[in-house]
Amino acid sequence: MYSRAWVRVRSTFGEPAWLAVNLSVPLLSSLAMALLYGSVGLSKYTGFAILGGIMLAFWGNVLWSMASQFNWDKEEGIFEIYLVSPAPITAILVGMSLGGILATLPSATLVAVIGWLFFSTSINPSWPSVILTFVLTLASLYAMGMLLSSLYLAYGREAESLNNAIGEPINLLSGLYFPSIGFGSPFPFTIQFIASLIPLTIGMDALRKSVFYASGVGSVWFDLVTLAVMAVVLLYLGDKALTALENRGRRQGTLVVRLR
Amino acid sequence: MAIVVTSQLARKFQSKRNTVVALESVDLEVNEGEVFGLLGPNGAGKTTLIRILSTLLLPTSGKATVAGFDVDSEPEKVRPLINMASGAERAGYEFISARGNLWFFSQLYGIQNDIFKQRVALLSDKLELGGYIDKKLYALSTGYRQRMTIARAFINDPRVVFMDEPTIALDVMTARRIREFLVNEARESKRTIFLATHNMAETEAICDRVAIIDRGRILVCETPDSLKRNYGVPAYVMEVTPPPNSLSIFTSIPGVKGATSSLDEERGVARVKIVLDNEDLVDKIIAAPKNSKLRVLSSWRQEPTLEEVFVNLVGRGFTEREMESAN
Repeated sequence: MYSRAWVRVRSTFGEPAWLAVNLSVPLLSSLAMALLYGSVGLSKYTGFAILGGIMLAFWGNVLWSMASQFNWDKEEGIFEIYLVSPAPITAILVGMSLGGILATLPSATLVAVIGWLFFSTSINPSWPSVILTFVLTLASLYAMGMLLSSLYLAYGREAESLNNAIGEPINLLSGLYFPSIGFGSPFPFTIQFIASLIPLTIGMDALRKSVFYASGVGSVWFDLVTLAVMAVVLLYLGDKALTALENRGRRQGTLVVRLR
Repeated sequence: MAIVVTSQLARKFQSKRNTVVALESVDLEVNEGEVFGLLGPNGAGKTTLIRILSTLLLPTSGKATVAGFDVDSEPEKVRPLINMASGAERAGYEFISARGNLWFFSQLYGIQNDIFKQRVALLSDKLELGGYIDKKLYALSTGYRQRMTIARAFINDPRVVFMDEPTIALDVMTARRIREFLVNEARESKRTIFLATHNMAETEAICDRVAIIDRGRILVCETPDSLKRNYGVPAYVMEVTPPPNSLSIFTSIPGVKGATSSLDEERGVARVKIVLDNEDLVDKIIAAPKNSKLRVLSSWRQEPTLEEVFVNLVGRGFTEREMESAN
């Protein structure tokens, strides 16, 4: 687990182009949103955009660098080395998640520092609540990444289309830059309900409350419990799906795809 | 002592349109410390057999064991004892050094750091990785990448190593170094090397025993010498131009066991190898092109090799078999 995390971090920092993309995409996206809020006289909401940029870095990591890298490993023949070894696939994926979190921290920190310095955004945080919400949001996000990875195991490149298809709708529904559920949401109840099934939505909502409105653990306890349940359920489903798909792949001969 | 055993092993692949029989009734016993060759043309079933034995694929029927453990029902007991390498795989992660990659792969087997250091020093020495061990993978040539892949396959001190075309596309020197390494590992460490290849010279050079596989069936399994002695027949080789579309002018001669040809594109010449039942047919073989547009540039008699064994058994060479499978 630790070694796969190490590979993830070393690979990210070993390639300057990747590092530049990792750092610039969330930063530029959040700055654009913050400038938009500022230009229409909603400066007090620029903090939402900065927070969205921070979480976008992690979400992008789940979608692209974790789930799709699993497929890359499969196509390059590295995945079969994992399978032939005694190491459980779940441990490798958890390692990829940890590595992804560590590799994303610099870009998230950059967004935070530049965003808050540039826009002088005022925050009113309840730190215990912020830290707990952040950790549980990441746990549920990366558990979702594990579940998405199992789709790659089953469908290979076809899952990439699904990845592309769900990326932007989730960005919209999860309210990266604006409240998509509860007070201030522009969506009707049905859409809010669907949005609340996404861990990122619950996490963003709870983070906004904790970072900007000093909501303590007592105030966001329901969000925290929801995130914890989501993390456990997604982790369980991911583990079961991976095992089931590995067995199916062994039966059908779909585990190994090599580009010769 | 047999460490890899298969019994009536079969594997079919089913699609919506058809069913492909990849392996059929495969019975094999591979001994501890043996370099065992599985020789056959592309599409013969070599990779399928390796995938079953290395727990990546389940058989449709039959049984296979490695070190006494069933590859189907006890993969978790088989995996710590084996490793595999392929000539087609990517060696590892590009932006990490060869040593870093080896360390990562060693962690999949839970190898402690001090043991890893000893093993990587030994493997680096044996495979002459030398100064390249600390270079990032993208900076390594194909030959050094493959040396690293081979080192990776031995990092967990496996009892059986499955190798699928490990020297494909390598220069002569690197291929020879890897072959020497494989033989030494079998002799010194009593490891079993299970080598799937379509390289007949390689098989002849390093394998203790060879199983010839064609269309999912094992045709024979003996030592290279005994294969040549028992199934090898003399061959007559002709360099002809223009390259013939068909070898029927030779194969239609009674007593010809089969023929195979390879193309020298630069010279526009085909080298046709005709496997004979007996030496008396040579005159008829030499006379055959006279009635066609083929011009014979040179010809000579050749002692039997494994290629003649295959042609004798199947009636065609690897090239013709692969073209048949492609069609």
